[in-house]
Amino acid sequence: MNQQLKWAYNTFSGSFYNTFITFISLVIFGFIASNLVGFISTSEWAVVTENKRLLLVGRLPQGEEWRAWSILWISSFLIFSSLNIFVKPSIKELIFISVIFVSVCLIFITQDALFNVIIFTTLSLGSYLFAKYISQTPYITIFRKLLVFMWISIIPLMFLVLIIGDGPKPTLWGGFLLNIILAGVAISIGFPLGLLFALGRASQLPAVKIVCTIYIETIRGAPLVGWLLLAWFVLPKFLPEFWNLNETSVVIRAMIILSAFTSAYTAEVIRGGLQSIPKGQIEAADSLNLNLYTKLTLIILPQAIRVVIPALISTFIAVFKDTSLVFVLALTDILQVGRIIPEQDPQFFGKALEALSVVAFLFWIVSMALSNLSTRVERSMGIGTR
Amino acid sequence: MKNTSKKEIGKEIISTTDITKSFGKFQALKGITSKVFEKEVVVVFGPSGSGKSTYIRTLNRLEPHDSGQIIIDGVELNDDVKNLQHVRSNIGMVFQQFNLFPHLSVLRNITLAPQKVKGMKRSEADDIAMSLLKRVGIPEQADKFPSQLSGGQQQRLAIARALAMQPKIMLFDEPTSALDPEMIKEVLEVMTELAESGMTMICVTHEMGFAREVADRFLFFDEGLIVEEGTPDHFFNNPKEDRTKLFLSQIL
Ligand SMILES: Nc1ncnc2c1ncn2[C@@H]1O[C@H](COP(=O)(O)OP(=O)(O)OP(=O)(O)O)[C@@H](O)[C@H]1O
Ligand SMILES: [Mg+2]
Repeated sequence: MNQQLKWAYNTFSGSFYNTFITFISLVIFGFIASNLVGFISTSEWAVVTENKRLLLVGRLPQGEEWRAWSILWISSFLIFSSLNIFVKPSIKELIFISVIFVSVCLIFITQDALFNVIIFTTLSLGSYLFAKYISQTPYITIFRKLLVFMWISIIPLMFLVLIIGDGPKPTLWGGFLLNIILAGVAISIGFPLGLLFALGRASQLPAVKIVCTIYIETIRGAPLVGWLLLAWFVLPKFLPEFWNLNETSVVIRAMIILSAFTSAYTAEVIRGGLQSIPKGQIEAADSLNLNLYTKLTLIILPQAIRVVIPALISTFIAVFKDTSLVFVLALTDILQVGRIIPEQDPQFFGKALEALSVVAFLFWIVSMALSNLSTRVERSMGIGTR
Repeated sequence: MKNTSKKEIGKEIISTTDITKSFGKFQALKGITSKVFEKEVVVVFGPSGSGKSTYIRTLNRLEPHDSGQIIIDGVELNDDVKNLQHVRSNIGMVFQQFNLFPHLSVLRNITLAPQKVKGMKRSEADDIAMSLLKRVGIPEQADKFPSQLSGGQQQRLAIARALAMQPKIMLFDEPTSALDPEMIKEVLEVMTELAESGMTMICVTHEMGFAREVADRFLFFDEGLIVEEGTPDHFFNNPKEDRTKLFLSQIL
């Protein structure tokens, strides 16, 4: 029997109970799918097509879009070459990725952006193929290192692109760009910080332990919105004058709060991992005379982090979605754009569903990519587990 | 029967004087005085909870002792970090539960310490690791991960890992107790070979056949004290203490 037949056989011939469940699932699935198709084909998508710019980059001034496009190009190079080098997707996954890629392009393509979208597509495809080519040459190791380095420096790089040569005020950053940047900063600052706090809380020095515990529990003790409001009213009083941070921006304040928030949650996740390390690992390391640094970086942390990768990625996904809460700081992230337009632009009254479903779609793509990554990383690390 | 009798015992290398150790109110060691000489093989045995593990774990300070004195290779074990490092670099330890690093390959398990502690070059460490893997009989497993090895192979890897630091003394804490019977032999063979090569060894074990063959001296522990001490012949032919007789009758 071939695969499909076997599948059909197993699915449809089991017990009555199995058949029943299968049937119900199919009905529900069919219902949802037909409604979805109906919704997509009968809706007016002008609310999205006319407001792409707002959704994607917010109020980034005319003539500054090249900054956003450059970020997109760098990312597409990174994502698509890494896809080939690190992820190695199967045919099924490739098709899936292409479908999503094409839908995103279709949603956001316009005449004036046509040129840029073409570059974007060419670059993505090109990077993928280039990576495929290079992985057969000896340059692969250098290329791999370059990619890792670029991933590490992607956030500073984004900043550079946004700020360089008299860039627009950060308060003008908005749309999906803002969500991505906020999440990127929160994760890339919050993760290392959280690592330190987790180690501090697990430390045997009472003072360090207490300080870290208080920090973690305080941050986790209040909702993010509460902290953001606090940032609005209180943080300016603490930020050093000379950086000019007070006027500079609420964006910086949002970053500080989001990073602190991420670090507290990450710290607890990692602490869970630290506790899962058997005492024998540390005794073995001690008996081999490894010093504290080696013990931490090569024995304890690699094992602790591996255990908590799913929880860690969940935290990151949550943080990414939480970035939409920055509306309380009067910032216009993509969700805010999607909410405001159908309310305030008479032309699009009542089109909230269309606007918000596209917003949801974008959030979903990123979240799904992250959770897929988590399964990947787990699987690739699975070999050395006990 | 005893093929190590011609071995020359060297100078004193471990000396403990009246060491005690308590866990909370419970006193696990109640004053242990012992000496071990270079190239000597000492087997420690006794009932469960008698303090055998605690004793050998104080020797590389996995358990700091409360009072008394421990001198290893002329260096006193105390809070001084330099002393501790000197002592640990001279002592290798093998655990009942192997305690291998599950995220590192077999080869990396061995080369980690030489590279990070001794600053050895990777190629050099690899060579040493491969020769040790040959010595313990698993050179073909170098690129696997510990979880892919059998229990006996894992314990042999643990021995190789400890040997890679070229210790003067090896401590074994019930190295075969977690193993299936058919794997015990392969580990004991490695340990026998090690003993014959002149390694100073302290083994907590109840494998009396092995003990009788390779040990120079037995220490019998009970309730935190060394109750009786002597050659294997002494223990097998005319043990003095009643407690010793009782325990031996139970395990033999
Ligand atoms: N970390 C610890 N905390 C509390 N009690 C401990 C600890 N380690 C050992 N003990 C106690 O000290 C006593 C001696 O323990 P030890 O492990 O040295 O015994 P042992 O002779 O090795 O026994 P076994 O044959 O079961 O391994 C035991 O009663 C044990 O419960
Ligand atoms: Mg024990």
